[in-house]
Amino acid sequence: MKAVGARLPRYDGVGHVTGRTQYVDDIRVGRTLWVKALRSPHDNAAVTRLDTSKAEALKGVHAIVTHADVPRNVYGHLEGLGVPGDEPLLADGEVRYKGQPIAAVAADSEEAAQAAVDAIEIAYEPRPALFDIRQALDPDAPKIHQWGNVYPHYGPFNHRRVRKGDIDAAFDQADTIVEGVYRPQAIEQMPMETQVALAVPEANGRLTIYSCTQAMYFSMGVVAAHLEVPLNKLKFVGGTVGGGFGGKVDTAADTICALLALKSRQAVKWRWTREEEFLASSTRAAWHIEIADAVTKDGWILGRRTLTLHDSGAYARFSPYGVTKHAFHHSGAYTIPNLHFDGFVVFTNRVPSTAMRGFGVTSVSFAVETHLNRVAAVLGIDPWELRLKNANRVGDTSGNGVTMADPSTVDVTLAAADRVGIELGSEYRRMTSGRRTGALLPEHLVAQQAADGEGH
Amino acid sequence: MNLTVNGREHEITSAPLTPLLHVLREELEITSPKAGCQQGGCGTCTVLVDGEPRRSCLTAVATVDGASITTLEGLGEAESMSPLQTAFHEHYAAQCGFCTPGMVVAATALLERVGGPVDRDDILDALGGHYCRCTGYVKIVDAVMAASRTVPA
Repeated sequence: MKAVGARLPRYDGVGHVTGRTQYVDDIRVGRTLWVKALRSPHDNAAVTRLDTSKAEALKGVHAIVTHADVPRNVYGHLEGLGVPGDEPLLADGEVRYKGQPIAAVAADSEEAAQAAVDAIEIAYEPRPALFDIRQALDPDAPKIHQWGNVYPHYGPFNHRRVRKGDIDAAFDQADTIVEGVYRPQAIEQMPMETQVALAVPEANGRLTIYSCTQAMYFSMGVVAAHLEVPLNKLKFVGGTVGGGFGGKVDTAADTICALLALKSRQAVKWRWTREEEFLASSTRAAWHIEIADAVTKDGWILGRRTLTLHDSGAYARFSPYGVTKHAFHHSGAYTIPNLHFDGFVVFTNRVPSTAMRGFGVTSVSFAVETHLNRVAAVLGIDPWELRLKNANRVGDTSGNGVTMADPSTVDVTLAAADRVGIELGSEYRRMTSGRRTGALLPEHLVAQQAADGEGH
Repeated sequence: MNLTVNGREHEITSAPLTPLLHVLREELEITSPKAGCQQGGCGTCTVLVDGEPRRSCLTAVATVDGASITTLEGLGEAESMSPLQTAFHEHYAAQCGFCTPGMVVAATALLERVGGPVDRDDILDALGGHYCRCTGYVKIVDAVMAASRTVPA
């Protein structure tokens, strides 16, 4: 165990500081074509005409792909979990967000590829666009997605739900109801390295793909599914990522590069511009989160109702998974015996959203912690003491039925108070994560406790 | 056109208005300067042109004809790292590493100009136009301060 507690040198550090680390854009495989994409200038439109013949005739152009070239155009990032696919690799007949790829060109240079993109003949009929997740639920809102404006595949429900205890009784017994609305906005991860891929057809019939993905085997599966080839026809090379922060979880450049490499029978590279990265790469979602807490005068949270709307953008991708994580964390690091949570994945005409540093969790943690400060202010209670009182203890049960074996809320809260010089009353200073007893075990928390000794 | 890059002379055949970044990466295959934004905003394409830090993405190669260019590769190899390269490594100042080429090159110019210990404000001024998205600024500044104290005055 020499490594524990030691400051070890980074295994890739010398490469980084001497310029020897090879990112995807630094790989050299001989003659390589450059890729540019035709992207939608509209947020929502029908594509009424698409003709690549003039572009194909231009000098230096080796291949152009549209939806007609993709063996299986529509795929979904959650198909492995049984969710049907909903997103075309290349738009077919309609576009649902600005920047959505419609066609891609491989040519001798970036300039030649861009000239060919500009020569593609295309016509649109713009449709009304929708950006507000609350408006998306209005009965007369434009319909954005073939499933309607709400993702419908949470088992028998069209939303992720959590039900624990008796929420109506909790609200009946409360001294006060404290409500709040929280709307964390979309964020672009903005890694220093933009999306990039290099696809090389090999003599043995395989395709080598140099990828900046954060999820190598997942991307391999996505490419294989779109191309309808077995996994043994693909060799992925990756692991050196110039920043991702969640923005390189969705497969971005790999599949279109692979298609163009197969069609042109040459190595092709697609390096997104910074403008493309902001326009068309997936972002952290925007949310609308409503919380109502049933609280007592002395600072117990008897129950919580939560409604979350998660902006998925134009397609589902991983958003349903993000909302499930969001649901698991909606009571924060605190024990609330009665919970009622509904989380909806809502479609809009924004770029599809994805992971960013705590997928689905940071948004609800922001809402929960801000809300606790609001509860403390309404009750006139110290916000640190409110947290310490309601913090998870051994034997408490979470919203999704997990019994706490080793919760750390009390220790972390006390350590944080120390660091920032917060004075706490001695009864709070002495608190531990041990099982609730005495004043910390009021009647409303008895039933949710696991039997003594239990915990998993 | 001619360029001396990391001590080696090259005859350049790219068109005169080609960005220096593209000449280095595609014609000479010197790949440490990165195409982070290609609009002068992020700093990771920074190289030294006759000792001065310049954004190679915005520099037409014809405007530096005959110049001496230094990239990160020219500052030292694994066995012969410069004090700054060593300090970046030892202080964990490179995380994903994509901004590191510009950071080290720009900091090298700062240390050569000052010729002794630099303070935090000098570093913030010299590296102000360089983005790091892994949020390693504290360690980067620490590394430059440490390196400036190992350079013989």
